[in-house]
Amino acid sequence: MKTSDVIVIGGGLAGLMAAAVAVGRGQKVTVLTYGSGSLPLASGAIDFINAKSPEAAIKDLPAHHPYKKIGTKALDSAAKFLIDIAAKANLPYNGKFGAQIPIVTAVGTLKYSALVPESMDASTLADKKKIFVVGITGLKDFYPKMIADNLKKIFPDKTFEVIQIDLNLLGGRDITCMDAAQLLTDNEQQLANELKALNATADDAIILPPILGIMGNFSRDVVKTQLRAEIFETTCLPPSPPGMRLQRAFMKFLQSSGVKFFENSKVVRGVVEGKKVTGVVVENVVREKIFPAKKVILATGGFYSGGIKMRDFDNPREPIFDLPVFFPEGAENWSNPQLFSDKPQGFALTGIFTNENLNPIDKDGKVLYDNLHVVGANLGGCDKIFERSAGGIAIASAYKAATI
Amino acid sequence: MSDKTQAIFTGDRCLSCTSCMANCPVMAAVKEYRGPKLVGPAHGRMHFSQEDVEDTLNYCSNCKSCDRACPSGVAVSTLNMLQRAEYYKKHEHLRSEDMLAHGERMAKLIRKLPFGATFSNLGMSIGKTLGVFSALGIAGERNMPAYASTSFKDGFPKIKQPSSSKKVVMFTGCYINDNEPQVGQAFVKVMNANGYEVLIDKQFNCCGSPLVVTGFLDEARQHADNNISRILDWKRQGIPVVTPCTSCSLMLKEEYHELFGEEQFHEAATNVYDAFEFLEILQERGEFNSNLKPLNQKLLYHVPCHLKSQAIGLPAQDILEEIGGVKVQTADAGCCGISGNYGFRKDKYEISMKIGAKLFERVKQTDFDKVISDCGTCRMQIHHGTDIKPCHPIEILAKAYQ
Repeated sequence: MKTSDVIVIGGGLAGLMAAAVAVGRGQKVTVLTYGSGSLPLASGAIDFINAKSPEAAIKDLPAHHPYKKIGTKALDSAAKFLIDIAAKANLPYNGKFGAQIPIVTAVGTLKYSALVPESMDASTLADKKKIFVVGITGLKDFYPKMIADNLKKIFPDKTFEVIQIDLNLLGGRDITCMDAAQLLTDNEQQLANELKALNATADDAIILPPILGIMGNFSRDVVKTQLRAEIFETTCLPPSPPGMRLQRAFMKFLQSSGVKFFENSKVVRGVVEGKKVTGVVVENVVREKIFPAKKVILATGGFYSGGIKMRDFDNPREPIFDLPVFFPEGAENWSNPQLFSDKPQGFALTGIFTNENLNPIDKDGKVLYDNLHVVGANLGGCDKIFERSAGGIAIASAYKAATI
Repeated sequence: MSDKTQAIFTGDRCLSCTSCMANCPVMAAVKEYRGPKLVGPAHGRMHFSQEDVEDTLNYCSNCKSCDRACPSGVAVSTLNMLQRAEYYKKHEHLRSEDMLAHGERMAKLIRKLPFGATFSNLGMSIGKTLGVFSALGIAGERNMPAYASTSFKDGFPKIKQPSSSKKVVMFTGCYINDNEPQVGQAFVKVMNANGYEVLIDKQFNCCGSPLVVTGFLDEARQHADNNISRILDWKRQGIPVVTPCTSCSLMLKEEYHELFGEEQFHEAATNVYDAFEFLEILQERGEFNSNLKPLNQKLLYHVPCHLKSQAIGLPAQDILEEIGGVKVQTADAGCCGISGNYGFRKDKYEISMKIGAKLFERVKQTDFDKVISDCGTCRMQIHHGTDIKPCHPIEILAKAYQ
């Protein structure tokens, strides 16, 4: 087995980003994944932090927060890099670190994100007069009337019209947004005809579930060019076409750049010599295989994805390198029973602490391995869901780890 | 190990995250299939406790994309195959299913007749023209794989091998034995060049993969019991079992245990290697013969699904790139669609071609000297979809030892 310059463990947003950045710098990269990663389950929009002025908010974070280790420089670079990768796959993204771009959610609220697929960027919605909300016959978990009713609360002066169109998608299973997007790929004309029949003008907007194809922006381009009104895709329940489009954009770049990408490859431990990791061990059903590496990026997804496990209640563990895991002391600090309150969840702080190179450190701040870098949801010390920082931490930490 | 990998114990790990749905090639091709999440772990819970038929179960091709997509280790496809077996306890098989499941039995019968292979090939092309296969439920668009005039095992004694104290037993697989013996001959040549003498074991039978996917699970179990006892016998003698067929190696290494769950199945599996996996282990020990003649070839590599599932990297790519002038590019175009005998079924032919379309496009549009793939049915499908005949990577390596 040839030695890789970089092995990335994990194929979620952080793992794909780290691999893309590393191969973009001419390195020989191997990605080892177990499961298809977070992107098919994600909205495709990337948030850095939920704050009116993100730069000031990040400045005020405590010293142990991942952003303090990553530094603000990587935030801009990571955002630019991601937009560039997506653009290569005809998947235009809008935004930058600090941007606040509105997206219509599947329940008809507005959510503000920093990096947004162009198809979801609802910045101009506020300027429109009439808004059509389009439901698709048979599509589950998408309620156009609820969306219209909720949007009406935000935009009371606008006219809303709820439309139901039948694209003949039924005749098998219940239809998800992914199904509709797959069925409409290279088969967009019927949808375009139905939307044309609305006679919507340039002053109007059409809101759709995210069904405009599964690859890049190709299907959207076909429909968009035939309409005068702007069309906006909402978010949806998984499997999520916008997340899948971003995953495919990354995969296209990795494959064309010669990254070795091995699925079903569960890494069980590292091979270490003192403070150096020299490789990782993959366990398949009958034997183990060593993948040698000069550098390893640990993007295994933290608490929610098996990157950190907790068999015993107060003893969370990082299963590959047995890295020390930070967690709040005292069971009473673990959970906040008010799920939607303005306070974070204690348990969500669980994770690995690092130095500024994202090397894992122990309680005393001592670096454990100097060519191992921890990225994404593995990083401890903040509730990424509460802060809405998961995506930003993932891409910025991956960018930094891959450029060190 | 036992509970960890036996499929029936993995269903409850499902979190309904839908990763499997996002990666299922059959779901992307047809709207009828309810998909791996619902048919595998969700419906599986019901099905094993009471009679409850899931109409779309027969759409699963067992390509195992769902298993690889699953972050929680659910053996989704094997849960589907177990349910299929339940279904056929109370329902009759189609004639086509019986035929497609029993290729080994058919080949044995034919080889007992004088000129049996010639006449049956002739019969298959006449049968195809007359629409007999189509009437039986087999895709009339396809050529049935032609039998080689002499099977690999029948021709094996005539192969001159240097004797060696280092030996491997070759598990030939049905397709290499009956249809492409040249792959077996290339395998022997490569092993000889690496100082190994190749043995064959005529008591091995079909690994059982075609039986499992068509719901003949009891018969598959008999094959498993027989093959496992042979593999354990070789293990006791310290002789590894190596196969150049990726679906056979996956069945022997992993699926027997997933399906039937006995500890000795796992123990036997530790003595089984995919061909290039074995060669790469030799290379790591410094025992690989790297005296290779340059070939100057650009190869397009379609990696079979059943190789991806084995989590052994891509040893064929790494080893072939040791040959001077050889560059291996992976096709990265997903499943070829045939998935064993799935694409041979009349009602699945179109699905199979739709799934393979991306790969066919890639093969047609890429500049290369040869397409390679470790799996026999993948090679058939690529040939059928593009008119370009691929070969097994071991055939390329054998050429470099000439």
